[in-house]
Amino acid sequence: MDFSRIELDDGQRSFAEEVRELLAECLSEEEQDRQYRVGSGFDETLHMALGSKGWLMPTWPVERGGAGLDPLRARVLELELRHAGVSNMTILSLRSVWPAVEKHLDAELVEELRPKVARGYVRFCLGYTEPDGGSDIASAKFRATRDGDEWILSGSKIFTTEAQNSQFIFLLTRTDPTRPKHEGLTMFLVPTGSPGIEIQAIRTFGGERTNIVFFDDVRVSDRFRLGAVNGGWAVLRGPLDEEHSLGGAESALEDLSIGGSDYALVLAKALQVATDWASTAVREDGRKVSEDDAVKMRLGMAATDVEVARSTPGPMGRVFGSEALIRGAADLLDLVGTDGLLMATSRRPNGLNELEFAHRYAQGTATYGGTVEVFRDMIAQHVLGLPRLDLPGRKVFLQNPPTSR
Amino acid sequence: MFMTGSGIRLQDYSLSAEQEWLRETFQKFFEKECPTAVVRSAEPLGFDADLWQKLLNMGIASAGLAPSVGGDGATLVELSIIAEEVGRSIAPVPFISHIVATRLLAATKAPDDVLNQAIHGHEVVTLAVQPSRPGRPQLVPDAAIATGAVALVDNELALFRAGLPAAHMENHGRTPLGLWRPGDGADCLSLVRGDAANMAHQHAVIEWKVLMAAALVGLTEASLRLAADFAKTRYTMGVPIGSLQGVAFPLADVAIGVAGARNLTRRAAWTAEFEPENSLEIALMAFSHAARLATWGTTTAAHMQGGLGFTAEADASLFFLRSKGWSSLGGDPMRDFVTIGESLIASKNAATAEPR
Repeated sequence: MDFSRIELDDGQRSFAEEVRELLAECLSEEEQDRQYRVGSGFDETLHMALGSKGWLMPTWPVERGGAGLDPLRARVLELELRHAGVSNMTILSLRSVWPAVEKHLDAELVEELRPKVARGYVRFCLGYTEPDGGSDIASAKFRATRDGDEWILSGSKIFTTEAQNSQFIFLLTRTDPTRPKHEGLTMFLVPTGSPGIEIQAIRTFGGERTNIVFFDDVRVSDRFRLGAVNGGWAVLRGPLDEEHSLGGAESALEDLSIGGSDYALVLAKALQVATDWASTAVREDGRKVSEDDAVKMRLGMAATDVEVARSTPGPMGRVFGSEALIRGAADLLDLVGTDGLLMATSRRPNGLNELEFAHRYAQGTATYGGTVEVFRDMIAQHVLGLPRLDLPGRKVFLQNPPTSR
Repeated sequence: MFMTGSGIRLQDYSLSAEQEWLRETFQKFFEKECPTAVVRSAEPLGFDADLWQKLLNMGIASAGLAPSVGGDGATLVELSIIAEEVGRSIAPVPFISHIVATRLLAATKAPDDVLNQAIHGHEVVTLAVQPSRPGRPQLVPDAAIATGAVALVDNELALFRAGLPAAHMENHGRTPLGLWRPGDGADCLSLVRGDAANMAHQHAVIEWKVLMAAALVGLTEASLRLAADFAKTRYTMGVPIGSLQGVAFPLADVAIGVAGARNLTRRAAWTAEFEPENSLEIALMAFSHAARLATWGTTTAAHMQGGLGFTAEADASLFFLRSKGWSSLGGDPMRDFVTIGESLIASKNAATAEPR
């Protein structure tokens, strides 16, 4: 057990300074406004700038396109990016998918892609969920059919966030509908520029843009297959575990879960705004808000939730962090009242819009990477050892599941 | 915030090999020496003198003191590991009161003979967690079995003996809660006065709350374990009830609560020991969170056992009653949230574990 503060030496401090300088150059107010408008945190200029420093894959050796950073410098980099509000979605996709690509893709292609990934030229999006599927991604119906040295892909994938900025889609397909559900799946890495692929934007009330991607008899070379035909589930496990925080923290320099790192940070920012408001605001009757115990109590509760989220490990932290954010954002918005409803785009922004944003954004976190209900199932089975309900589609691929009458 | 507010911190929640050994030792000790039959037979007073003597024989009373005063130098981290096992077995012993009061006596340089009485367990000492007023009757944890109480009276911290052990007041948690009235100060041993007294008392309360948080984590987890075992073996319509989401999900939520509260408590214990100047808020967070977790966690655990969980015969009832009966001794969690909010406003800094 150790929660000591790490004193940075001169070299480490100047490294942090170097990161901050690069961020200051890239993160203009105009760029932030653009990101807010388009609903994507992806900033190509920044992404390429990070890539040119080897900071997309910072712990990779320099000759592979990384920066050869030690774990502490990598942590400094991670926290500086987070502090600056840089979206990590594209980088997280790269890092979760790359080990599977490296292990299962054609070796020549891997060599070709590695420097491009590290330098920022190549990005991946995740092609898991289907419009009628949801979190049960192993029930994918998306068909891939072999035709000589090629495969023909047809179907659609939804919630393919950042597809519009990605060169490849990490695609889950069904290659044998007659086999058990997990044994008829095959993974591909498909160029998003292939003829027959159409990316359509989907807007969320959280403000983010995601996508639906249609595949109309798209042809892809067998070289882009990952792992064995019908062996896709084994390929997908690693990236899924990564996304689910199943690995947990492997060192004392890592966060315990995405709930503690990403979701708790959004709540912490909302809490900062609410605290600033409480420090200065005055009620209609002249009383200072800062003297109101009901206000202090709610700030204290949100602050506690932030720290609990940061302390809760793995999938449990993912659930707690998401729900603490949902709870906290709603309550802090109530706390500041009607003033909190004004948006960043309002004619008279009042600095409280972080709350309004957090309340919208929070809702998506309960679904990202599998819903909190899916995670509760995992926790019930793996932490508490509760029995699993034997549902008809658990192991069998139901091509035409029964519909309710 | 607060403790994580600046710089990069390690986030190592793991136990060392020695700490793991300590945890296992006490877990096994309580499994053997304190099954729920022992808990029941200690009711209504909530004190088992034999069990306490066995713990004293293991050196429990001196464990948390510096070697220079005859202790073993265990930190609050190790003590919180033991406290979690005390909670897991809902052991009827004054562990938290005695440990915290003894450490407070040592910290305020109580005379050797006084300290020796406590560290050898010749007398049970407790802490009046809430500030006291002369002549005003006060419910004090473990006062019904203690012969000494450290209390803060009018900016003076003192060890009181008069009126102790106090009259036992039968209570919800089946604990040795005593109604005690501090005297006018003539009959007590003054330890420290003024700001130093307030600070010493506050730090003792921090330690008390951290250890209580750890105990409540263990208590809630034990109660969750009972409910999970029940849910695996109880069938409805041909399936175990634990396979149904209406049962599994509430239990999963308790598991999530336990995992987070345990880690937060570890951070609080570490901070109170190694950075006491930063420890108030995180200790209050750990306590208030664990207190609320214990309340709904034991409620959920009992309810998932249906009508059976509501019977006095079910062990679920023992955990349910102690969750409130123990946590309420530390005061209203909402008051702690107010204090945390006050600190936030004062420091104007809610942010966060970011580098600078």
